[in-house]
Amino acid sequence: MNFTYLFVLIWLAFLISGGVLLFSRGFLLARVSKTETSTCRRLSTNPHDEYVLSPEVVNEIFKDVNASANLCLPQKSRVIILVVDALKYEFGLFRDNVSEPLPYENKLGFLNELLEQNPDHARLMRFKADPPTTTMQRLKGLTTGSLPTFIDIGSNFASPEINEDNVIDQIASSNLPMVFLGDGTWTDLYPRRFKRAYSYPSFDIFDLDSVDNQIKKHLPKELSSDDWQVLVAHFLGVDHCGHKHGPMHEEMARKLSEMNDVIRSVVEAMDNDTTLLVMGDHGMTASGDHGGDTDDETNALLFAYSKQHRFYGNDSGSDTEMLQQIDLVPTLATILGVPIPYSNLGLINFNIVPDIPVPYLNKFQTLLLHSWQNAQQIYRYFFQYAFENKRTFNVEEMDRLETEFILLSHRVQTIYNEAAFKNFVRDLNVNLRDILGTCREIWVRFDPTQMSHGLLFSFLPVFFIFLLVNNSRPADYEKIFKAKETFYAYLINVAAGVFGYRYYKNFSFKTEEHGVIFFTAVTSAAVFSFHVLRHWTNIANNWAAVRRFAHMPTRLLLFAAMAVFFSNSFVIQEAKILSYLLAATILLLSHELLRLSARIDFKTKFKASQFLRSTALRLVLASILAICLIRFAYTLFRCREEQGNCSDFTNSGGAGFSLKKPGSGKTYILAVVVIVVYTTLTRLYLRSCGNLTGNSPNVLLARYGPTVASICAGGHVLLANSSIKNIQRSHIDVLALVIYALLLLQIIVVSWAPLMIFVLPPRNANTVIVNGSESIVPEIFRKMKRMYEGNDEERRNAIPVVYGLATVYSSIVITFGVFLALVMVVLLEPRASIGLIVCIAVAAILLSIHGILRYRTATSFETCVQPTFTAIVGWFLLAHFCFFATSHQTTLSQIEWRAAFVGRTTGIGQSNLISGVLVILNTFCGPIFFFCMYSLLSTETYSLFALFPNLIRSCRSSSAGGKVDPTTTMTDLANEAVGFDMTRGELTLYEYEDVFLGTGFKLATQFFMLQGLKVFCAMMACTIHCRHLMVWKIFAPRFIYEALATFVSLPSLILGYLLLLRIHRAVDTLIKRINKTKVL
Amino acid sequence: MERSTTVISVLVSKEQAEARKSEGENCNSLDLNMVSRFDQQKTKHQLFHVSLSLATILLCMAYMQYRRNWAHLGSFWDSLVVPIVFLGELLKVVLARFYGRVEDGVLSLKQRQKKSSYFTPKEILGGITLQFLCTLLYAFICIILGAPVLGNYEQTFVLALLMTLLTVSPTVFLLGGGGALQVCFCEKPDFVTKCEDTALNLFKYNALGGILGAWAGSVVAPLDWGRDWQAYPIPNVIGALLGSALGNIYACTHVLYATAKVYMTKKRS
Repeated sequence: MNFTYLFVLIWLAFLISGGVLLFSRGFLLARVSKTETSTCRRLSTNPHDEYVLSPEVVNEIFKDVNASANLCLPQKSRVIILVVDALKYEFGLFRDNVSEPLPYENKLGFLNELLEQNPDHARLMRFKADPPTTTMQRLKGLTTGSLPTFIDIGSNFASPEINEDNVIDQIASSNLPMVFLGDGTWTDLYPRRFKRAYSYPSFDIFDLDSVDNQIKKHLPKELSSDDWQVLVAHFLGVDHCGHKHGPMHEEMARKLSEMNDVIRSVVEAMDNDTTLLVMGDHGMTASGDHGGDTDDETNALLFAYSKQHRFYGNDSGSDTEMLQQIDLVPTLATILGVPIPYSNLGLINFNIVPDIPVPYLNKFQTLLLHSWQNAQQIYRYFFQYAFENKRTFNVEEMDRLETEFILLSHRVQTIYNEAAFKNFVRDLNVNLRDILGTCREIWVRFDPTQMSHGLLFSFLPVFFIFLLVNNSRPADYEKIFKAKETFYAYLINVAAGVFGYRYYKNFSFKTEEHGVIFFTAVTSAAVFSFHVLRHWTNIANNWAAVRRFAHMPTRLLLFAAMAVFFSNSFVIQEAKILSYLLAATILLLSHELLRLSARIDFKTKFKASQFLRSTALRLVLASILAICLIRFAYTLFRCREEQGNCSDFTNSGGAGFSLKKPGSGKTYILAVVVIVVYTTLTRLYLRSCGNLTGNSPNVLLARYGPTVASICAGGHVLLANSSIKNIQRSHIDVLALVIYALLLLQIIVVSWAPLMIFVLPPRNANTVIVNGSESIVPEIFRKMKRMYEGNDEERRNAIPVVYGLATVYSSIVITFGVFLALVMVVLLEPRASIGLIVCIAVAAILLSIHGILRYRTATSFETCVQPTFTAIVGWFLLAHFCFFATSHQTTLSQIEWRAAFVGRTTGIGQSNLISGVLVILNTFCGPIFFFCMYSLLSTETYSLFALFPNLIRSCRSSSAGGKVDPTTTMTDLANEAVGFDMTRGELTLYEYEDVFLGTGFKLATQFFMLQGLKVFCAMMACTIHCRHLMVWKIFAPRFIYEALATFVSLPSLILGYLLLLRIHRAVDTLIKRINKTKVL
Repeated sequence: MERSTTVISVLVSKEQAEARKSEGENCNSLDLNMVSRFDQQKTKHQLFHVSLSLATILLCMAYMQYRRNWAHLGSFWDSLVVPIVFLGELLKVVLARFYGRVEDGVLSLKQRQKKSSYFTPKEILGGITLQFLCTLLYAFICIILGAPVLGNYEQTFVLALLMTLLTVSPTVFLLGGGGALQVCFCEKPDFVTKCEDTALNLFKYNALGGILGAWAGSVVAPLDWGRDWQAYPIPNVIGALLGSALGNIYACTHVLYATAKVYMTKKRS
């Protein structure tokens, strides 16, 4: 009895999670988004306004330019923005001397015409995007002026709406009306900002024309009206054409010519004081896709045209050839005279700003004022960000940038001519670009070192588990993992961790975390390989004993489950695939069972009547019931956006924490009924096992707790969703709180006195034995029994009669599960709680089929206690299936935030930690529940046997010949069947304690292995597909969910093992006590 | 402690021995026989049988190619796949009868009884009922594995019918309803003649391949290729056909391998 295995488990869990964490650090770039907004004093030319531009004001401004922060100069012109999705830079270049242009060449000839007619009024520039080059991320970048990353921490997951300061909001708050036409992504990001919006969904990637045609229909009307200041039109055809046909197809020529016509008509229709901006949000690769960071994908096109006003020229100090996409935001803000958004990092590019003189200011003063406003805004954001997120940036780098800024802010006071201004602007731009570079380094790039290390270090432990644990026998673990050696391994790991923490810089790792994980993983790998080498003979022997092509169907199932990650359509349909595989696992189990029992039941002649009475048929029916339940769970799945005609999804946008879809009254009633049935059935089961007799604390709790909890859960389901408005929230909360309290109580009781048995006082022994067989099975120690039968009357008093000893292990696990399940039920919404209970029912069926299969195939204690690989895979699949059955999906917008407020609406325990725990419990209720209860897989065989001893007799009686007196042959039958005495139920487990605990450990590590493999596949898929179109929409969220599931399930498995250890310890004490009283 | 471990090791070795034994039993008896002595008649039967099933599937494929549009595979009246497979299975039974004619003289009493009762109404009725029940069972399994509950009944029915034809029907045609049940659920009944046994072994490959193929056919269903042949029963129907083809090819290689082995030993000696 020691805790060595537990520590090994913790060690393994640490290694796997470390690898996953490292990978996620390299793959998911995190930026904390700020919700502050910029404001400014708008200097107006209208004399009636608050701040009027006058010579005095100008003088005051230039007295101290530093103090004049937050100024906006007047609006220069109206703006038309035509976004042509995936308009690559090369598409706009015009080459004269080409006789046969490629499909995408020379199609935008109108741009060239304008450029040649009046070069001062038109600009054609390279529009450099920052990866990831997907439309959503690009739009964020184009409107906030910051570098978008996958997870903007702090942003609202529940809807895609941007809550960071952005140019659209600034325009809207400056009362400049906007009109939008085209891709619906804009209105998802910016709902209710536009005066008029004609938005169309962008899902159907193979539809080249419908969105564009709609825009073309509405555009002329909008161009002729003059009630807007900004018009945005987003065309999708070119992008979709790229995805469908690629840039070299004739369709591309057609789409580009169409765009050419659109631009021509817009230019003809626009008035003199309007600026036209035509831009692509990203480019495309040779195959027409995008998402990555190659030059092909990041080089988009920008074309600017103004009919009457010239653009500022070369003397403004801006780049004439290339425009960073983030520079668009400050430039746009300058043209429109609105504040530059708070989190912008771009610079104003004066090349596309129309040169409209501002009264009382000369040209360089105007430019200086604009540039300096921009610079101040960037510094404010950058230093605020660095201040709030320490350790994000390098300290020396920060110091250098700050010094430079102080120097510049002194210099800006002394600029009185154009030459000085040019010098100043050059230096300023260099400095601001430095800041951008610093940020980009942190936010934009994947970190391949961390990703590859993460992959390697999550694979290594899985590999060693396979070698060392999976290929050794439970009895040998004691030799492999000795307490002392594990202690040393921990010491070495701690030393390696400290080393990594201290010297991570010497190995050019970026963070301490990376160093620590790297060195601990390497040393642990060394330790494990040492173990493997030392026990190689054993491992090799056991490995050789495994049959060739053993478990092949199961392995194929597992392979299919893992392969899901590598295709986006499989990820989208994962719920159905998992249920298909789970059904196949159950069919496989029942097929094996049928094959075995058919051989035994019908020797020569098939009899229908015998078949109808046989246990095999019942089990087959049970498995069909299980599959029907799984099929029923289809109705509980939540669909996702990509599946099409998904009604759940349209409701989930908008207000963050609202209920997705109010279910009907029937759902609530069904949920309550299901909850009640579940608690009643477990209660009946426990009672028939004799575990509800007596008055030990856990028995009392198990007797009354679930009833109370289920009443509360039912009440909560009905009240929380009822349409009656005048119920006080606190009354509903109390119901939830009672259930939480019961779970806590259960945890306390389990750690204090877990056993659910009743030792009958010796005085009453004989009476109860005679009468107590209505439904209770009093399990009697066989040893004692023999003594009882053999010995004389006065020894009778010494016989202890113990209720519930046959299910001493599983009963506690099941009771614990009941409380856990009820907490989850209250957290889940009613529809989802039906799903959880359906999964529990499937689990029960799986357990009973497997239990019976196991003792028909087992030949020794060791094989009997070790579940078959198929059952393990089935349990594993079930745990993950439960995620989907409880109405969850692997998209970030479909997290059930409501769970964070169950029982807490009246302000009890306002901590984010509790909210997080509740949401995690809700989201991953499947993995948590089933992995906590994993030990049932090995104990259930025994409790089944204790409950229905007839099963084994029925399958052996034909071979044993005629009926013999049942009491005497029971043990022999068991001995003959499985090689040991099974009649004592789970007490047998105690007798072979080292094998049993070893198997518990092995089982946990096998689940570790499966989970590790799964998350490894998720990581691998992300690495392979990191340039995929759908990486941020499908693969990355899938990986995030899988990583979280790993972080949650490994501790749950450890918890399950801990529970097992605690029970074992209690049984140990009990048996010792009984033995002592017997001796006395 | 010491003793218990030795007991365990003894038991484990026993288990391994048993496992090996059962493996031997599960293994097709044809190669065991092949090694010991070469039965020319039997090999011929096997090869004809396998080529017959392959020809059936080829015919189905040719038919599908001829029709060009695969969408009709799910309809009962419009598709010839089910009748072709039905004819193929019948031909296989005729083949088994043809080779069985040699053994007519050496039949045991039970085998003779069985043979004489082949065309009695009771047997025929039993066979048809069994097949009908099987079709229903397959349809039910299709539905619980994810086929639409409401609607697509015709498609589900066609798939179930095809599965029945590939798995249960050949045995029923060969042995009648009661016989098929006995073969499925009991150890080898004694009324099965040698020739029927050969056919039964080959049917097993056919059935296994068909089931696995139909099951695995679903793999293309979730893909977003937007092809018309991804519609519900088509991948499963084609999967079942291809699966049974693969099963037959596997059986064929077994037979050929055994024959080649015999041939080589003969040549050497």
